[in-house]
Amino acid sequence: MAREPKFPDTRLPDTKLSHTAAMILQALDAGFVYGFSIMEMTGLPSGTVYPAMRRLERDELIRSNWERQSIADAEQRPPRKYYKLTAAGKSTLEASRKRYPLLERLIPTEEARTV
Amino acid sequence: MKPASNWTHHLLHFGLLRTASLIVPTPQRAEWWREWRGELWHVQQACAPDGVCSWRGDQQATAFCLGAFQDALCVRQAGRQRKLRLADMVGTPAQCLLILVFILATSYAIALLLPGVRAERSLWPRKVNPNLVLIQQEGATDDSQPTISPMEFGAWEGRKQKYFDGFAFYRITAETVNPQSLSNEPHPWSVWAVGHASSNLFTLLGLPIQFSDFTDPSLNGGPSDSSQIPDVILSEKVWKRDFGADPHVAGNIMQLGPRMVRIAGVAADGSLSLPGRVDVWELQPDPQFGAEAPGFVVAHLTPFGAAEMWTQCVHITANGPGNSEQGFLGISLEEWKPAPGTLYLFALFLALLALPAITSVSLGECSLNPENTSWTKKLYRWSFLTAKIALLLPIVYFVAFDLAYGCTTFGRERAVYIQLVSTFAMCLFGMRWVLKDQRQRCPVCMRRVTHPAQVGQASRTFLDWNGTEMMCMGGHTLLHVPSLPTSWFGSQRWLYLDTSWEFLFASSTRPVP
Repeated sequence: MAREPKFPDTRLPDTKLSHTAAMILQALDAGFVYGFSIMEMTGLPSGTVYPAMRRLERDELIRSNWERQSIADAEQRPPRKYYKLTAAGKSTLEASRKRYPLLERLIPTEEARTV
Repeated sequence: MKPASNWTHHLLHFGLLRTASLIVPTPQRAEWWREWRGELWHVQQACAPDGVCSWRGDQQATAFCLGAFQDALCVRQAGRQRKLRLADMVGTPAQCLLILVFILATSYAIALLLPGVRAERSLWPRKVNPNLVLIQQEGATDDSQPTISPMEFGAWEGRKQKYFDGFAFYRITAETVNPQSLSNEPHPWSVWAVGHASSNLFTLLGLPIQFSDFTDPSLNGGPSDSSQIPDVILSEKVWKRDFGADPHVAGNIMQLGPRMVRIAGVAADGSLSLPGRVDVWELQPDPQFGAEAPGFVVAHLTPFGAAEMWTQCVHITANGPGNSEQGFLGISLEEWKPAPGTLYLFALFLALLALPAITSVSLGECSLNPENTSWTKKLYRWSFLTAKIALLLPIVYFVAFDLAYGCTTFGRERAVYIQLVSTFAMCLFGMRWVLKDQRQRCPVCMRRVTHPAQVGQASRTFLDWNGTEMMCMGGHTLLHVPSLPTSWFGSQRWLYLDTSWEFLFASSTRPVP
C-alpha cells in the first residue's frame, strides 16, 4: 500500500479522526479556544468535548495553556484553560477537511473572527 | 442579591464537580478541578446573564456538570494506560540499562560524598622515593625502637658519604593536644605521638604535603602574626579520625603541649611504613636536636649503596664520635601497597579466571531456527551485552571503593583487603549475572523470558530430557533449558514461534521487534 509522505513528527496526514474530533479541531482553528465555547459552537455536550480534547492533546494535535491570573483577576472571574492547534493538528485538520467536506461550512473560520 | 434557589443550584453544581473530581487521579486532580470550576463559572454566566437562573439555564449547567464525570473517567483511563506503558518496560533492555545507570550514578555520588573516599582520591599519588633505608644499630632486635642518637646523626650528616646522599632524623614524643583549641566549644585534651623531624624529612621521602596551599591563616581564626607560630603536618590517620578528612584543614591553629601551632598540611601514608606511630609531624631545623634521646634515621642510598643491598638490607660501618667503628644496618623501607586502580584490575583478572568455574560462559545462541536471527539482531544483542559489561565494571569499581574507604576509621591496610575482596566478589557474581541475563533474553525482542515451567518426567531423566521452559511475553520464542545436560541436549535452545501462536498473546503486551 502506498503511504503518503511523513511529517516531521512521523504522524501521517491522513490520520483517521472521528467527526467529533474533526469538529473540535475546526472549532479551535476558527478561534473558539475554550472548552465551553467549543461546546456552544459545535453543540456537543461537555461529556464529549472535554474527553475528546484530552485525547487530542495526548496525540499532540492540540496543546493547552492557562491564561494569566492577572487577566482573570482584572475581569473578576476564575482563569481559563485555552487550547491551540499544533502544527501536526493543523495538518491533520487539513486532511480531515478533505474527508469531511462540510466541516468548514459547519464552523466557518470567519465566524469566530467576527465575534 | 441572588435568590436562595440560585445558591442551592450553585451548591449542587459545585458538589457534582467535586464528586467527579474524586474519580480523577490525585496528581491531575487539582488542575482538572481548576479547569472545570473556571468553565462552570462561564456556563453559569451564560445561563443566567442577569444573575437570575432560569429553569432551562439551570438544566444546561447541570448537564454540563454531569459531563464532568465522563471527562474524569477519561482522565483516569489515560492514567491507567500510562501505567500499562510503564509495565511494558519490565524486562526490556532499556529497563535493565536504566537500572544499571542508576546504580552507577548512585555509587559515584556516594564516592563523591563520603569523606574517606574523597580523602583517598585526593591523597594520590602516594609513591615515595626508591632506595630509602632505615638505619639501625647492628644487633638491635626491635625495629620499632629508636637506636640512633642525634649526635651520631649530626656526625654523619656533616661528612661526605659513599653509600648515602641524604639523611633525615626524627624522634617521637608524647604530648597533650587540643585539636579544636580556638573553637568556642570545649574539647577534651588528648595525647598524640608528635614526630620531631628534621626539616628535610618529607623532601627526602619525596612525599608531597597535601592541602598545604593555604593563603591567610587569619581567615581561619588564627592570630594575624602567623609567622611566629610553628607549622605542623598531620598524619593521614589523624586527619581522617579527628578532622573528618576536611580538605580545608590547612591553616587551622591548635594547641600542642604548651604552644600554639598551625596545621600546614597533611602527610599521606606513602608506600612505605616508617617505624613508630606518629600523629603529627613538627619539622624543626637540625640544631634543635640537642637532646640525647635516640631517634630514627632515614637515609637515601646512592646508586653505589643500592648495589650493595642484599635481601633488603645493607651493612654499614661508621665512625662514632670517638673515631670508634660501629656497625649499623640499613633496612629497606619499601613495601608493596598497590594503588586502587591496580588492585581493581588484579581482582577483575582473578574474577574472569574464576568465572568458568561458577557458570557457563556460553551465551546460549544455539537456535532451532538460525535464519531468523539476522545480523542486525545479532549486533543489537552483542551491543546490549557490551553495554551491560561497560556499566557493570565502573559500578564494581565505585562500590568497592565506597565500601573500602567509606569509613575513615579503617586503616589503609584493611581498606586494601576490603577493596580486593569486594571487587573480586562483585566482578565474579556480576559477570555471572550478565551472562545469565543474556542467555535468558529473547533473540528477537531482547526481553527476558518469563513464566518458567518444569517439563519432562523425573523417571525418564536418562531416557528423555527434562528441564525448564520459559516464554517470551512478546510471543516470539520459547527457551528450553535442560536440567541435566546430555550429549544430545547439552545447552539451552531457542524455539522460534510462528504466527500461529500470536492468538495467545494480547496485542498490548507484544513489543515490536
